[in-house]
Amino acid sequence: MSTPIVEARNVSRVFPMAAGPIAALRNVTLRIEPGEYMGVVGPSGCGKSTLLHVLGCVDVPTGGDVLFQGRDVGALPDAERSRLRLREIGFVFQRFFLLPMLTAWENVELPQAEAGVSRAERRERTKELLAYVGLSARAGHRPSELSGGEMQRVAIARALANRPRLLLADEPTGELDQATGDQIVGLLDRLHADGTAVVVVTHDPAVASRARRIIRMRDGGIEEESIP
Amino acid sequence: MNLLNSCAPVESIQVLRSLRFAWLSIVRQPARACLAILGVAAVGALLFDMLLLSRGLVLSFRDLLDRSGFDVRVLATDAPPFTGPRIADATAVTSSLAALPELEAVLQIRVRDAQIVEAAAEPAGPRARLDRVDFIGADPQVRSMWTIVQGEDLPDRPESAPVLIVNEHLARKYGITPGSELLLRGRCESLSEAVPAVRFRIVGIADFPFDSTTARTVAGTLSWAERLCAGEGQDRAEMLLVRSKPEVGAFTAAAAIRAAHPDLHVVTNDELIERFSRVEFSYFRQISAVLATVTLFFGFLLIAVLLTVSVNQRLGEIAALRALGLSRSRVSAGVLWESVMLVGAGGLLALPLGAALSVWLDAILRTLPGLPADLHFFVFEPRALYLYLLLLTVASLGAAVYPMRIVAVLPIAATLRREVVS
Amino acid sequence: MWFDRGMVTPRVWLLLATVLIAAQAPAGTTVQPPESLPGILLSRQLIESRGLRVGDVVRLSARRGGQGARPFRIEGTYEPTPDPMRFAQPRLEARLHLPDLIALTADPSDPASGDSVTAINIRLQNPSDATAFARDVSTRLPGIVARPTRAPNDRTSTFLVLERFHLAIAIVTVIGSAVFLLALMVMLVDERRATVGILRLIGFTRGRILMQVFAEGALIAVVGAAGGILFAFATQGVFNRFFQWRYDTALTFVRITPEVVWQSLLLSVPLGIAASVMASWTLLRQQLLALIRR
Repeated sequence: MSTPIVEARNVSRVFPMAAGPIAALRNVTLRIEPGEYMGVVGPSGCGKSTLLHVLGCVDVPTGGDVLFQGRDVGALPDAERSRLRLREIGFVFQRFFLLPMLTAWENVELPQAEAGVSRAERRERTKELLAYVGLSARAGHRPSELSGGEMQRVAIARALANRPRLLLADEPTGELDQATGDQIVGLLDRLHADGTAVVVVTHDPAVASRARRIIRMRDGGIEEESIP
Repeated sequence: MNLLNSCAPVESIQVLRSLRFAWLSIVRQPARACLAILGVAAVGALLFDMLLLSRGLVLSFRDLLDRSGFDVRVLATDAPPFTGPRIADATAVTSSLAALPELEAVLQIRVRDAQIVEAAAEPAGPRARLDRVDFIGADPQVRSMWTIVQGEDLPDRPESAPVLIVNEHLARKYGITPGSELLLRGRCESLSEAVPAVRFRIVGIADFPFDSTTARTVAGTLSWAERLCAGEGQDRAEMLLVRSKPEVGAFTAAAAIRAAHPDLHVVTNDELIERFSRVEFSYFRQISAVLATVTLFFGFLLIAVLLTVSVNQRLGEIAALRALGLSRSRVSAGVLWESVMLVGAGGLLALPLGAALSVWLDAILRTLPGLPADLHFFVFEPRALYLYLLLLTVASLGAAVYPMRIVAVLPIAATLRREVVS
Repeated sequence: MWFDRGMVTPRVWLLLATVLIAAQAPAGTTVQPPESLPGILLSRQLIESRGLRVGDVVRLSARRGGQGARPFRIEGTYEPTPDPMRFAQPRLEARLHLPDLIALTADPSDPASGDSVTAINIRLQNPSDATAFARDVSTRLPGIVARPTRAPNDRTSTFLVLERFHLAIAIVTVIGSAVFLLALMVMLVDERRATVGILRLIGFTRGRILMQVFAEGALIAVVGAAGGILFAFATQGVFNRFFQWRYDTALTFVRITPEVVWQSLLLSVPLGIAASVMASWTLLRQQLLALIRR
C-alpha cells in the first residue's frame, strides 16, 4: 500500500469553553490515499470542519497524531506547517475568502509568489488555472465584481496554484444556488479525475454523493464509512 | 510535474511584496487612510515645532551674542545685564583688563536715560510725545557692538562736537538721516533740576542686536554719556564687553579676568546662555517637552487604534491567508509596513505644515514685550529633524506592536469557524 | 533696552549683588548683643538653602567682595509672593527696613544715593482715583513714572501673548483631535454596515437612522467630554504638584476654571456629534445593495 497523503491516528480535539470543554473530535482514525475523493457528512456541529482543519494542518490535535506523507505534523513548528499548507495542501472555504483588493488574477498568483515561483512560470500557471475554471475573461475583475459562483471558482483556482497533493473543501457550495453549486462540484470531479486527492465537507447529500468514499460523522466521531 | 521553485524567495522580494500588500491594504480604505495621514500630519507638525522650540531660543540667543562680536561680559554682580549695580572705577578696570594678554579688546558700556527735546521731524499722532531713549556710551576706538546700516560709525578720534548713532526704529519714527540733529536732555537720577540739553549730530543709523522692535536706542561716546547728566555717576559702567584672542578662547580669558578682578562677575557667552536656558527660557523648554510628549503619544495612539481596528475587521481574511500558507512573520510584516507607511506619509506632510505653523507661533511669541527684534523662538537645526524622524519611527513601530501580536497569535481554525458562523 | 532696570527693586538688587556671609556669630564672640542688631526677614527658600534659623545673626554686604558687611539678626521668615515672571529663579530674598537698606547700599561718594529709592507704593483713600492721581503726579513731577497697579504693563502684555500662544497650540491640538475622532468614527461606522443595511431593508428611513446615530453620538460625546474633564482635573493636581516641587514655589500652573470646562464642552461635544453624524452619513448615502453586499 502506498503512503497515504494524510493519516489521522486516534485524533482528538477538545476546545476549552467557559461552560466546559467541548470534544469536537474523539479518537478519529482515518487515511486519505493519493488521488482519493472523500466526502465528509454529518449533522451540524458533528466535527466535520474541525476534522478538515486538523487534516489540513490549520489546527493541531489535542490528542493523537496527524501524519502528512509520513511526517508527524504535530511535531512541526508553525513555520513548517505554513510551508506545508502553501505547497502541498489547497483550501477552499465556504465564504471564499478572496482578497478584495486583488483581482482574480492576483488572487490566484498570490500563493505562487509566496512559494517563490518565477514570474514567467506564475504567468503561465495562473493563465492555465483561470482557463481551467472557465474565468479567463474575468481575470482582471475584483471579487466585488464577480458572482458567488465565480468567486468560488477563483478560490478553487487559488487553492490549486501550487499543485497541491490534497484539496480540502469546506462547504464549497454552502453559499451558492443549486445550479452554481453543481458547477463547482463538477469542477471538483474534474480535479479528482486529474489526480488530486479531494476531501469535501458538506451537509448536502447531492454533493456528497459525487465522492467515491463517504465518512459520516456524529458527535465528533466517525459513525459510518461507505462507498456509494 | 511540480513547477515549484524549491528555493525560498530572496528577502528583498519578500520585503517588496509585504510593502505592496501593505499599500493595497491602505488604499482599499482611502477615507480611513487619508484621515490617519492627516491626523499624523497635524500632531506631527506640532511635534516638529516643539522640537524646534526646545532649542530655538538658545540657538537664536547664541547667534545674537556672537553677532555682537564679544564673547565675555564683565558685570558688578551676577544680576542680569543692565539690572544690577554698575562697575565702579570703570576706566581703571577697563585699562587693567585691556592689558591682559588673553584679551583682544575691552569695551566699556555706559547706559543713561535721556529724553528727546527736539527732533528733525515730530512723531506722527495728534498728541505727539517726545520719547525717552537709552543712550549707550561706548569707546569708539574699540569695535562696537552695533552694525552700521546707513552713514558712518562714531569717529574713533577724540571729538569735541557731540555726535550720535541712532537705531532704525528712532530713525523711522523721527525721519532721521545722517546729518540730522537731535536735542537730548539727560534724565538724571539724583539731579533735581533739569540739566541742559545737548544737541547731537547724527552720523549714522545702526542695527543694535538686542533692541526690541520699539526700542529707542542711541549711542555716543563715553564722555558725552557722562556729560548728559553733568558727570553724575561718573566712571561707572553697566558692563564691560570683552573679546578674547582667538587662540586663547573665552574660557581662558574669563579665568584671567577673574584672577585679576575677583570682585567682579565674569560670564562667558556660553555661561550666559546656560543661565538663560535654565532660568529665563525655562518655561519654553518645559512646554516644548510636555507638548512633544503629548503629541507623540497622540500620534502613536491614533495609528495603534486605527491599525488594531483595521486588523480586527480583517481577521477572516488574515486567517485565510494563514490557511493558504503565508507565514506568521509574513502577515505580521504587512501590518508593520502599514504602520510605517501611514506614519511616514503623515510625518512627511507634517514637515511643511510644521514649518508654516512655526512661522505663525514664532510671530505670536515675538510680540512678547522687551524682546530683541532678531530673537526667534523656532529655529531650524538638523538635530531637530533627526530627532523628529527618530521619534516618528519609534512611534510607528510601537503602534504596530499590538496589531502585529493579534495577527501573530491568531488561531486560524477558530477564526475561520467564527467567520462562517457570523 | 532689553531689560527694564525699573523692574528690579533694590531688595532684589541687594540679593543678586550680595555675597551673603552667613557667618553666624559664635556664642560669646558677638560684638553686639543679637537683640540690639537690626532685624531682617529672609525668604523661606533662603533660610532652607543656607540652613539658617530665626534668631541667627548674618552679615550682609552690597558688594561682591563682602566689603562693608553689616550684621543683622534674622527675625522671621516669609513666603515670597509667587511671581509667574520669575518662577524659575530661586527666591533668595531678604527684607530690610528702608533705612538699613539705604545705609548698606548708599555710595559714600554720592550724597544723593542715600536719598533715592526705586519705587514708592501708595494706597489712596479712594482707589478709583488711581488713574487720575497717577496722571497728576506725572505732570507735576517730570522724570517720575506714576502708574496704577491695575494698569496694563509689560507683565500683562507678556501673559496676553502667552495666552495667544496657548490658544494657537490648542487650535492645532483640536484639529488633530477632530481628525482622530473622525477616523475612529469612520472605522466604527463601517463595522455597522451590515446592521445599517438590514435596517434599511426592513424599511427604516435614512433620517430615522441618522436620528439614532445623532443620539448615540451625543451620548458618547457627552460621556467622553465628561471623562476628559475629569482626567484634566486629576492631571491638574499632578502638574501643579510636580512643578511646585520642581521650582519650589506656591504658584499654581494649571487651573481648570468653570470657563475652561464650558469651553471644553462647547468644543468637544459638537465635534463628537458632528464626527459621528458625518461618518454615518457617508454610509447612509450609499445604495442599499452596496450596504448589504459583502
